[in-house]
Amino acid sequence: VYQVFESVAKKYDVMNDSMTLGIHRVWKDILMHKMNPSPGTLLLDVAGGTGDIAFRFINYVRSVREHQLQRKLKHHQNLSWQEIFESYQKDKFNSLGDSQVVVCDINREMLKVGKQKAQYLGYSEGLSWVLGNAEELPFDNAKFDVYTIAFGIRNVTRIDLALQEAYRVLKPGGRFLCLEFSHVSNPLLSRLYDLYSFQVIPVLGEVIAGDWKSYQYLVESIRRFPPQEELKAMIEDAGFFKVDYENLNFGIVAIHSGFKL
Amino acid sequence: VRCQHYPPLRALQASAALRRASDEHKKEPLTSSSQQHFDSPPAGHQPEQEPQGPRPSYTGQGGQESEDYESEEQLQHRILTAALEFVPEHGWTAEAIAEGAKTLGLSVAAAGMFHSDGSELILHFLSECNTKLSELLEKEQKLVQLGKAEKKPIDEFLRHAVEARLRMLIPYIEKWPQALSVLLLPRNIPSSLNLLTSMIDDIWHYAGDQSTDFNWYTRRAVLTGIYNTTELVMMQDSSPDFEDTWRFLKNRVADAMTMSNTASQVQSTGEAVVQGLMGAAVTVSNAETSRAVR
Repeated sequence: VYQVFESVAKKYDVMNDSMTLGIHRVWKDILMHKMNPSPGTLLLDVAGGTGDIAFRFINYVRSVREHQLQRKLKHHQNLSWQEIFESYQKDKFNSLGDSQVVVCDINREMLKVGKQKAQYLGYSEGLSWVLGNAEELPFDNAKFDVYTIAFGIRNVTRIDLALQEAYRVLKPGGRFLCLEFSHVSNPLLSRLYDLYSFQVIPVLGEVIAGDWKSYQYLVESIRRFPPQEELKAMIEDAGFFKVDYENLNFGIVAIHSGFKL
Repeated sequence: VRCQHYPPLRALQASAALRRASDEHKKEPLTSSSQQHFDSPPAGHQPEQEPQGPRPSYTGQGGQESEDYESEEQLQHRILTAALEFVPEHGWTAEAIAEGAKTLGLSVAAAGMFHSDGSELILHFLSECNTKLSELLEKEQKLVQLGKAEKKPIDEFLRHAVEARLRMLIPYIEKWPQALSVLLLPRNIPSSLNLLTSMIDDIWHYAGDQSTDFNWYTRRAVLTGIYNTTELVMMQDSSPDFEDTWRFLKNRVADAMTMSNTASQVQSTGEAVVQGLMGAAVTVSNAETSRAVR
């Protein structure tokens, strides 16, 4: 698994765009909307190498915070301009509202690409990058409000261990969110999808990234991955409650959600 | 072979442990009446959640198991109740629910269990109000039965019940128009209608079978109309202690009483209900626009 991603790291984002025809952005946006994080949330993004989820989180929290501040200012109608200016300044230094995201990945190359992206896009505060294994996270118990793993869990050898680790590092009340390729139930769509996956994607892999094998592996790992209900049962086994899943695009992708109660 | 068992039978480990911890806080350290053994230290705020493996096992606790057990629903109720405190500040939103979860020692992410528009919070509040009203009316009925209080005439009883129920809105009245508009969403209409009709039924139940001129549907419709219109008047009322609203209520109930004597009673009831709904739609939309402008 490690070697696959080493070669894939640099071209990861480009490949994502071409494989999914750009829809992966929409999927990740939907995930963020479902999370609906409030300022002050601590997020752990596992296998989030290039930072897509992390950046979206920061954007979301920033805009929520802005709305909060606007609402607060509206209530302070009778303050002098000086007071308003001062309170705005004070809050501006806390534009994230103490929210933080830790990006954890098993692969150093992916983290490197992520850090470069962050610099390039101008994300500085509220981000940390940690090297770690999803089956054995280097974090203490009950640390995080939300744990996400987007398109990473199918690459984990022992999914049950990863789920147990997720349970461990979440605070009580914390949420587990998993975005992953899943099982398409519609037979017509399923055939088209198979065709696309096995014929088109490895070719794209060869053309864009110069790597047929890795993308062949990718497509096969998607097929081997447990379907929605089975993953839901595994999440429940790890101790999560209110486990549910939402199919996106008829099951090409599914978001599973569970709470540590 | 995977064991397919239904989750709700498992106790909620985290929340149960949290409540134990806060209960322990309240109990004296020397009390021996508590037969529960904890590994967590008695002092300090939140004891670290010791992961007991994927399946929490309380078999060691024996008979105490039923005290620790809390279903998801009960936990959700507790979160929503705690969230009500934050409604005046944050409105009927996921933010209020997040704050409520925080006071219970849970992560703010727990608010993700509920819809982001606050529907569940509002419905929860409504059902709590209805329960409180039932208890109040039950208590008063007992007093009458014991001869400790006078039985009220029907119009006074209705006035009293509706006023008592509407007064429960007072702490949240600023954000109540927002709640009303959320309740009008198609998704919420079945539940909100259900709660409304059961409340009206309750009031008539405790009012007793006094009025003989009304048939059952008319009674329901009339009181629903009175309640809804009074509620809307209350939203716009700025008089001290809402005395304008109670005066309006008195007049409507008086109207209803005289209406029962006329033959056109059913027709005018229908008209009143339609007018009430139209007024409702106009008022709510005005309230929303004025709120948006503000």
